[in-house]
Amino acid sequence: MTKRFHEIRDPVAVFVKIDTAEREVLNSVPVQRLRHIHQLALTYLVYPGATHRRFEHSLGVLHLASRVFDVITDEENRHEGCRDIFPATDELRYWRRVLRMAALCHDIGHLPFSHAAEELLPDKKTHEDLTLVLIKSPEMERLWNSLTPPLKSDHIAKLALGPKELPTATFTSWEAILAEIITGNAFGVDRIDYLLRDSLHAGVAYGKFDHYRLIDTLRILPSGENHQSEPTLGVEAGGLHSAEALILARHFMFTQLYCHPVRRIYDIHLKEFLLATLPGGKYSTDIHSHLQITDAEITTEIRKAAADEKNPGHLPALTICNRGHYRLLYERNPDDIKVNLESVKMIYEAVSAEFGAETVRRDQYSKNAGIIDFPVLTSMNGIVSSWVLSEIIPTIPSIVVDSVFISPMVKEKAVRWLAENKKDIIQRMEEEEDQ
Amino acid sequence: MKRMARVAILLSLVEKLENNGSWCGETHIQKATYFLQQMLESDLGHDFILYKHGPYSFDLSEELGSLRADNLLKVVPQNPYGPRMLPGRAWADLKETFPKTINRYAEKIAFLGHWLGNKNVAELEKLATALYVTKELQVEERQRAEKIHALKSHVSLEEAQTTLIELDRQMDAARGLLAAA
Repeated sequence: MTKRFHEIRDPVAVFVKIDTAEREVLNSVPVQRLRHIHQLALTYLVYPGATHRRFEHSLGVLHLASRVFDVITDEENRHEGCRDIFPATDELRYWRRVLRMAALCHDIGHLPFSHAAEELLPDKKTHEDLTLVLIKSPEMERLWNSLTPPLKSDHIAKLALGPKELPTATFTSWEAILAEIITGNAFGVDRIDYLLRDSLHAGVAYGKFDHYRLIDTLRILPSGENHQSEPTLGVEAGGLHSAEALILARHFMFTQLYCHPVRRIYDIHLKEFLLATLPGGKYSTDIHSHLQITDAEITTEIRKAAADEKNPGHLPALTICNRGHYRLLYERNPDDIKVNLESVKMIYEAVSAEFGAETVRRDQYSKNAGIIDFPVLTSMNGIVSSWVLSEIIPTIPSIVVDSVFISPMVKEKAVRWLAENKKDIIQRMEEEEDQ
Repeated sequence: MKRMARVAILLSLVEKLENNGSWCGETHIQKATYFLQQMLESDLGHDFILYKHGPYSFDLSEELGSLRADNLLKVVPQNPYGPRMLPGRAWADLKETFPKTINRYAEKIAFLGHWLGNKNVAELEKLATALYVTKELQVEERQRAEKIHALKSHVSLEEAQTTLIELDRQMDAARGLLAAA
C-alpha cells in the first residue's frame, strides 16, 4: 500500500508529518534551495554549532502552525466574543492546508546568508517581495492547483507574509489571525521555532521555554477597550508564565546571540564583500537567478577572493577568512545618552575623521524594539492586558543596538584616543535653524 | 527634518494627548500621529498601512520602543487596558533643546489633543479608517461608508456614516488651520 503520510525527524519538533501532496511542495526547487541557506548567516564563526539551515526551520514552522491552528479552532477553545470569525468546518480544512503551505514557504525568498545582506536588493525590495513572486510563480501555482482542494496562491501569500509585508492587500479578520499565527510579533510560530532552534544549535540555553504549554493555551480573543476591536491571538491565564518565558527568551536571544557584536560585524563584512563583487553591487531580483544562488556559491567566492589580491572583494573576504573582523570600540550607553541622544553618531563621526572612514564601521539595530502586549483570558472569563497581569513583561527593556567598530590595525590607538577625547566629542544637543 | 526634531514633535503630541485625558496606549499614539501626518500635512516620516484597528505604522511602533530605551518615553501598566505610553524623564531636556520646532507645530498638536484626547480605541479606529478611505483610497464620497464597513465588518454602516460626519467636520477645521498658518 502506498504511504500517504511521511514523517521527518527534527531536533526541535521530533517528527514533522506531511502528506504525499504536501511532499511535492517540499520537494520543489524553491523549498529545497533552503537546505543551502544558513539560518543565522555567519554566526557559526562565533557560535560554531549554529550551522542549521532555513529548510529545517521552515518544516518546524509548518509543524507549529498546524498545532496552533488545531488549538485555536477547537470548539471548546472558541471565545464567545469571537465565534463569528470562524469559517464553516469544511472551509477549516482548506485553511489548515493553506496555513501549512504558507508556513513551509514563508522563507523561500531569502537571499544567501539570510538577512545579512538584504539591503543589496534593488529599489528597497526585501526577501518578502521575492517570496511573494515565488509563491505566485508558474511552478508553485501548478503545485497549489494539484492539491485537493486546490489552494489560492493569494491566500498562501497573505498568510506567509502578513499585512506588514503586503500593505496593499486587504485581509479579512480570519486571514489576519492566520497570518498572525505565522508572522505575529507576540506568538508567531516563525519566532517560536527560531528561538528554540537557534538556541539548540548555538548552544545558548536562553531561547528555551515551554512552548507546549504556551500553544495549548493560545486563544483568539477580543481586543481593545470594551473589546470592540478586531480579535487577536492571546492566552488563557494558565499560559501567561509560558508567554512570559517566550518574551524573556526573545530578549535574551537578541542580547546574547542575534546582537552579539562579532556576529553583527561579520554581517557588515559580508555585505561589503557582496557590494564589491555582485554585478552593480546588487542582488538580482530575477527569480531564476535567485534560485541559482545560495550560501554555497557565495562561500566559494569568498574563499577565492581571499586568495586573489586583484579580486574586488579581496579585503572583506580576507577579513572574513582570517578572522580579521573589526573590533567593538564604543556602544550606546545610558551615561552618554543623558548628555546627548546622538552620542554614538558623534563618536562615529569623530573617530572616522581621526582614523579614516575605511577603518570605522557603525552598526544600528532597533527592529525588535516594539512593545509586546496581548490579551489574557482570566479564570473569571474576563479579558485583561498582559501588562496588567504580568509582573515580568513591563520590566523587559526594548532592544536597541548602536555600536562603533574599529579595524584591529588601529584598535589600541583608537581606544586610547577615545578615552582622552570622549568628553569633548559628546556635546549637548542644539536645535538647528532648519529644524 | 532630522530625527530628534521629529521625536520632539511626536512627544509633544503624546504629552498633549495625555493632558487632554487620553489613555495614551500605542493605538492612541499611532492614530494621532496618522492624523498629524495625513490631515495636518506634517510628515514625521512614518509609513502607515491598513492593519488591525485601522492605519498602523510598524516603523512608528519600533520608534516608540527606541524612545523607551532612551528614556524619552515611559511605558506604564495600568488597569484595565494595559500599557500607557507617556513622556519619560529625558523628555524635559529634549523639550528645552527644541523650543522653536515644538512651537511651530503647537497649534496642530493642540487641535489633535483637543479632538482626540477623549476618544477610545474603537472610536479612533473608525475615524482613522475613515480618513484612510477618504484620503488614501480616495473612495467616492457616497461610497465611503460602505467601504469602511467592507474593510472593518464590525463597524456597522450607520456607525461608519456617523464617523464620516465627524471626520468631514474636523477636516474642514484642519483645512482652516492649515490655511491660517
